[in-house]
Amino acid sequence: MFSRLLPRTAARGALQAQNQTPHIIRATPVTSCLQSRISQRRGFATPTEEKDLVIVGGGVAGYVAAIKAGQEGLKVACIEKRGSLGGTCLNVGCIPSKSLLNNSHLYHQILHDTKNRGIEVGDVKLNLEQMMKAKDTSVSGLTKGIEFLFKKNNVEYIKGTGAFADEHTIAVNLVDGGETSVRGKNIFIATGSESTPFPGLEIDEKKVITSTGAIALKEVPKKMVVIGGGIIGLEMGSVWSRLGSEVTVVEFLGQIGGPGMDAEISKNIQKTLGKQGMKFMLNTKVTQGDDSGETVKLDVEASKGGKAQTLDADVVLVAIGRRPYTAGLGLDNIGLETDNRGRLVIDSEYRTKIPHIRVIGDCTFGPMLAHKAEEEAVAAVEFLTKNYGHVNYNAIPSVMYTHPEVAWVGQNEAELKEAGVKYKVGTFPFSANSRAKTNLDTDGMVKFVADAETDRILGIHIVGPNAGEMIAEGTLALEYGASTEDVGRTSHAHPTLAEAFKEAAMATYGKAIHY
Amino acid sequence: MGSIVRRSACMASRYAPSYAARRGFNVSVRDEAAQNFTMPALSPTMTEGNISGWRVKEGDSFSAGDVLLEIETDKATMDVEAQDDGILVKVMQADGSKGVKVGHRIAVTAEAGDDINSLEIPQEDASASAGEPAKKNRPSPQDETEGGIDTTESSPSAAEAPPASRPEADAEAGGASATRPAAQKAEGQGSQGDKAQKQKYPLYPSVEHLLRQNGMSKEDADKIPASGPGGRLLKGDVLAYFGHISKDYPAQASARLSKLSHLDLSNIQLAQPAPKPDAAQPAAKAPELELPKETEVAVPVSLSAVIATQKRVQDSLGIFLPLSTFIARASELANEALPLGKNRKPTADDLFNSVLGLDKVAKTSRGQYVPQVTGLAPMPLAAPTKSAKKPDILDILAPKKALKKTSAVRPGAVGVTTGENVFSVTAKLGEEARAAEYLGRMKMALEQEPGRLVV
Repeated sequence: MFSRLLPRTAARGALQAQNQTPHIIRATPVTSCLQSRISQRRGFATPTEEKDLVIVGGGVAGYVAAIKAGQEGLKVACIEKRGSLGGTCLNVGCIPSKSLLNNSHLYHQILHDTKNRGIEVGDVKLNLEQMMKAKDTSVSGLTKGIEFLFKKNNVEYIKGTGAFADEHTIAVNLVDGGETSVRGKNIFIATGSESTPFPGLEIDEKKVITSTGAIALKEVPKKMVVIGGGIIGLEMGSVWSRLGSEVTVVEFLGQIGGPGMDAEISKNIQKTLGKQGMKFMLNTKVTQGDDSGETVKLDVEASKGGKAQTLDADVVLVAIGRRPYTAGLGLDNIGLETDNRGRLVIDSEYRTKIPHIRVIGDCTFGPMLAHKAEEEAVAAVEFLTKNYGHVNYNAIPSVMYTHPEVAWVGQNEAELKEAGVKYKVGTFPFSANSRAKTNLDTDGMVKFVADAETDRILGIHIVGPNAGEMIAEGTLALEYGASTEDVGRTSHAHPTLAEAFKEAAMATYGKAIHY
Repeated sequence: MGSIVRRSACMASRYAPSYAARRGFNVSVRDEAAQNFTMPALSPTMTEGNISGWRVKEGDSFSAGDVLLEIETDKATMDVEAQDDGILVKVMQADGSKGVKVGHRIAVTAEAGDDINSLEIPQEDASASAGEPAKKNRPSPQDETEGGIDTTESSPSAAEAPPASRPEADAEAGGASATRPAAQKAEGQGSQGDKAQKQKYPLYPSVEHLLRQNGMSKEDADKIPASGPGGRLLKGDVLAYFGHISKDYPAQASARLSKLSHLDLSNIQLAQPAPKPDAAQPAAKAPELELPKETEVAVPVSLSAVIATQKRVQDSLGIFLPLSTFIARASELANEALPLGKNRKPTADDLFNSVLGLDKVAKTSRGQYVPQVTGLAPMPLAAPTKSAKKPDILDILAPKKALKKTSAVRPGAVGVTTGENVFSVTAKLGEEARAAEYLGRMKMALEQEPGRLVV
């Protein structure tokens, strides 16, 4: 079977080279049918010409769908109201925060760590303005990159605010003034999400900030209180803590990292972040906030009732989650429904009750993650062009980019207990990993959760250096239904951090060698 | 038959999974390479089709992606592309054949490089059309044992396959199957969840390990029910096969995980529609409504210059321009880029943009003022007056604001005098300066150079 493959492939290449004449475009039925129609229509284009696909929102979901649709040969337009593409992720989310996280980590390391490593640096000074500039350079480079990709894939980029005029028409209020409208056979809604405000505090992005303001503070606040100990709160808290703020995280639940993070991992990272100087108040709720003075005052008390106290902060970061953003989209004009949390209602193929309108990304169901939005964008376009698309929602990784990083995929122990699944656990600490040792970066561990009977991997949870990159291997294993033995029997290079991954797998079905 | 659709055979084979799987059936060692090519199902509902024409002649070779023939159904005409390289040995249903059932043989193909003269045309595969499991052609009488395997029975096959060194075995997993008698390829059928099927990919390390440990060869993997993604054989499947764990468990676990792989869209609780502003009742309530504090800002404006211009235009061009036109145009100009009120808060968008440095938080914005004009001494004018719009419910609800907001209410010429008129607007608290700026501009436009308003 495979022994034949080689000569045949070569022959095929030769054949195709000769036969290039008749079938230049090999396309799937839908696209080729569209193409034929498009080519007929070309020539008498009007401003209200109908597109195959109109996408409202140029964030990760929207721009990926636009590029993918362009590649599939659809005539596509993407409407974005911010002056730049990439949405929250690129402009005020994932990307700029990672720039600050990386650079603040460097600063923190030079300040506290390099001396032990034999590097003595003289006068270390923080130039916040320059750090922000470095961040802006990364962001603008990436957003311009998307504009280029739009051009390359023939995506029409409409800068303006879109609203449904009717089921096929989007009226656009252009950024540069004026109005236009665009018709689409299919329409994707990809309007994303916004930070959920905290009742009683008014967001001014200076004193009371969301993640948007947290990447653009003009100076390092002396005292910062973070409401919400989820991923965003801990990442931005880390940045300002490293740069010198006294950071207190107030979390309503009994653990940091949000409900998806495994409890054991959560405790582990809390200990490490605590050593770095962050303070945590778990099981605590903010009852009231007062931002009228020079500083912000927050009244907090134990969530199950208890002693109240008042926190005082120069800056309060509200990071209690995000909510779908569909304001001004004119959903009422076409009668689209949202659920009680504002998410647009869809079916398993991302269709609303008007079948040619689909919804992808943060403004509908599922975790609010850029890579989830990206997967959905591709799947939704494939539903148009190939009648089938798929996203495996059980194999979507989550990463928190603190130091050490935290990453997980699949289910955690609490979820499995609730589902009544018997499982076994294997862990391996980075303190027993040679590479982590040489890097003097040994906080954290790798943890596998596998089915007690079949050994099939159900979840992988990592806290440790480079966890975000390492989780890719775990996601792949999960996607392929691998057992921990399959991972344990696969060679991992020495000396690498990934060996800890392998050893944790070995510890699940047998025993780790080095622990 | 409007559109011509080219459908790749790869796509078609999704609807007719038996097509690809069948390639190995009913072939003996001698005519291994000749296969029946059957009518593909080009859509889930297609049951039969007409052959519009063959694009490849008998005896010609084709490569993957070439269009083999055109098929016409009740819905569309579609091209069928070759999935693999090969040779068209014989056409069984010539051009123009009507109503050929899906799964019925339409041609015989051979693999690229085969000598077609020495090939034997295979029998029509009767069972294939219905997609039933084909009968197995295994040479060994060893039948699949139900539940657990008898080691004495499986030992011969273990003996046949001498233990290879591991790395080699890994690299060749799958490759090894090519050296087996072709008949064994017939093994495995159907692509559903936990049925035994041919393992096309290298076996997982754990699976191969377990098989070897239990004295089986890699080929035996094909007869173990597989529950993994895409029909892959998992460690749990092998454990269940050997009776180490419950037989149904792997399938149950897979079903649970496959449920997790989809968004949970059950129990969606729709948002209650926002309560509609009830237009009927508030008439009585209206006085209770708290209106934002407002002040009235007024400026006297002389319209004599305007009227002079109006007359000039009428004399020279013969066009009568009503006063309202002048006032409306002046208002248009005056509303542009007014300073923001003291109390205005930047919107989320403004903040977002200022963080991005896209543009600064706006210092000015377009006003929406419409002046109320009161003449000091009423004087009839030959201006065609538009009657002011009847007050609607909104006006009753918000008596003061309404005039300002309803742009439909043009500053009428009612009661306008040629001399001093008082132009007034109501300004919200903190926006007095904004309103005053607007009126100042109005005065300037109307008194200084009204001619420019109509040029």
